[in-house]
Amino acid sequence: MADEGLVIGCHTVDAWKQQLDNAQASNELVVVDFTASWCGPCRIMAPILEDLAKKMPDVRFLKVDVDELNSVAEEWNIEAMPTFLFLKQGQLLDKVVGAEKDQLQQTLTKHASS
Amino acid sequence: MAGFEGFEKRLELHFFDDDPTTTTTTTTSTFHYLGLRKLDFHQCINQTLQAVQCTVVSALGNSFFDAYVLSESSLFVYPTKIIIKTCGTTQLLKSIQPLIFYAQTHLGFTLTSCRYTRGSFIFPSSQPFPHTSFKDEVSYLEDTLPTALHNRKASIMPSKSSSHAWHVFTATTAACDSCACDSCEHVPCNRDYYCNQPYTLEICMTDLDPILARKFFRRLGDGSTGDSAGKEMTEFTGIDEINEEALICDFAFDPCGYSMNGMHGEWYSTIHVTPEDGYSYASFECVGSTNNGMEIDVAHVLRKVIQIFRPGTMSVSTTSGGGDVWRRVASAVESMGLKRRSFAMDEFPEAGSVVFQTFTAIRRKSA
Repeated sequence: MADEGLVIGCHTVDAWKQQLDNAQASNELVVVDFTASWCGPCRIMAPILEDLAKKMPDVRFLKVDVDELNSVAEEWNIEAMPTFLFLKQGQLLDKVVGAEKDQLQQTLTKHASS
Repeated sequence: MAGFEGFEKRLELHFFDDDPTTTTTTTTSTFHYLGLRKLDFHQCINQTLQAVQCTVVSALGNSFFDAYVLSESSLFVYPTKIIIKTCGTTQLLKSIQPLIFYAQTHLGFTLTSCRYTRGSFIFPSSQPFPHTSFKDEVSYLEDTLPTALHNRKASIMPSKSSSHAWHVFTATTAACDSCACDSCEHVPCNRDYYCNQPYTLEICMTDLDPILARKFFRRLGDGSTGDSAGKEMTEFTGIDEINEEALICDFAFDPCGYSMNGMHGEWYSTIHVTPEDGYSYASFECVGSTNNGMEIDVAHVLRKVIQIFRPGTMSVSTTSGGGDVWRRVASAVESMGLKRRSFAMDEFPEAGSVVFQTFTAIRRKSA
């Protein structure tokens, strides 16, 4: 309950796997924000994502730093940031590459209702 | 009655960092030199230029730089270099002082060179001061830039048409060998120095094919966002085929207009389109290098760009880092049904040789 409405930071590969497993168990849509501390555009999106997380408690919002979880970033072919992946049952549904507020909102609305 | 001014003003600022450790971040697996990327330049620009012209509509960052698409500009932030390209009536030069101040106070960076270029405005009387004339712009630059950038040059490079010229102003702390000043950093002012520098290719196109230009109008009531409409335009026009490996940040304006930034390693590209008939304009800009992994197929890029816009007139400005890249430009453009009408070459501090060539379509149906 405490995690609802927040963007959850995954700092280890185990934590990442745990979050995906939990989402799978409750059939939740997962939105992953791949960021980097050295990337200006990521800073723009951080508050926007927090806001969306508050408004959509049924969606699991995760945050992954590409340097911290290098293997996960490579696994999902992250080339530039921010990249938002939309996952459900471990499958990639959609992707938004770049700090595109309207596109993120629209993609979220599309997948959250399905 | 004036329409939207497509012709951009471009500013490139280089900084020196005397203590890189303060902006370097070491994380568990990588080492990143941030430099200017540590600052929120789009905020600084937002505050200094009129906010309505500088809302971030899209942005992306990779290991080398951050790229922003703003409502009337593109902004590229590298660790020690910023490039801003802005259209409309934005008072771009007014951002220099705040940017210098911002970099100095937050990072202790000093400005080492400045490059300002632009074509000729379609609606020059609509421009606010200091963009009222090149003379006013140069005067403003002379007054604003720190005196340490003492090696300066301003020139208007002509074409056969008086309404189509290339305006260049550069200033740098580095000086020619001929300079008697002891405290300058001396660099040889010859081509050998510049040939290993990346070159910049700036293309300005007017009188676009009206049918092709229509692709940059939003479809009525499409209900999609500027981002997704932009993506459609990128694919529909073939802009994504210019460099198929590049990541693209695009945006379609309402009711028309398009901007994009492309990113691939250290390489960037940027396209801005004003499609309205009567004052249609499109620009393409990118960097290239004859070495260090930023080699681009200049001929392919030019042919694709011409194919996408089919301009009646186009100008290409190149800096000398690419050696004789201007020759490859001329032969590629002429292979696409355009003929070169003018050629001008001049040397500038920091930029090296600048070549300005203009071309017009050989056969055009009248409107």
